[in-house]
Amino acid sequence: MAKVAKEMVEKAGVNVDQLLELLIKNASAELTTFYYYTILRVNLIGLDGEGIKEIAEVARIEDRNHFEALIPRIYELGGKLPESMNAFHDISACPPASLPKDPTNIKAMLTVLVKAERCAVRGYTQICNMTAGKDHRTYDLSLAILNEEVEHESWFSEFLGEGPSGHFMRRGDTSPFVSKFLR
Amino acid sequence: MKKFTKVELAQQNGKNTFKPYIAYNGKVYDVSNSYHWKHGKHHVLHRAGEDLTDALQEAPHGASLLERVPIIG
Repeated sequence: MAKVAKEMVEKAGVNVDQLLELLIKNASAELTTFYYYTILRVNLIGLDGEGIKEIAEVARIEDRNHFEALIPRIYELGGKLPESMNAFHDISACPPASLPKDPTNIKAMLTVLVKAERCAVRGYTQICNMTAGKDHRTYDLSLAILNEEVEHESWFSEFLGEGPSGHFMRRGDTSPFVSKFLR
Repeated sequence: MKKFTKVELAQQNGKNTFKPYIAYNGKVYDVSNSYHWKHGKHHVLHRAGEDLTDALQEAPHGASLLERVPIIG
């Protein structure tokens, strides 16, 4: 635990227990989403599915990166992951991104993906709001993750016909915002 | 439709046999089927059995999400 770092956050008026619970729930959401996205990705087949497969894969890898990036901050603040993987799954901040009954229904697949991203956008916005100007390190991390989640949402939203994302696909490595926390 | 007193609403905290209900803008909503209200808690900060009218102004979502939830009072 980073004692002074935690003390600074407490002194700034952040309820560290609540913050830790949110960070752990969101870490769970990232890892479980990585798992469920794996199933979605392998089922994105055929002419329609192949068009989405690559961005689903980028979102999947970046969600795993978010999980990795969150862990050090949880332990710095004195938190820890549940010992049981089952328990960890069940406290996820977001519902399972389960495979639709008909995986060839691309709209249903995209709806699952966009819902998961929207849940994440709300979750990191909440953490940013809670830590802004108070816990600079958690804020910086959450903002970096939020930047990537917003892009994921906009990619899937564009495919759903909700309007242009304004983005191009990733050029180069994944996690352009979060990578600094992974070194 | 049933009229809830504050005491009756507070009982509906999602614990024991009580279903989680929340109040917003004068209406009572049954959130027992919502993933985001498991065990009567919502994203760490909010509890069932409370009037969340003010809290919703600060939330990272609008009241439109409540449209999916049954109104019971």
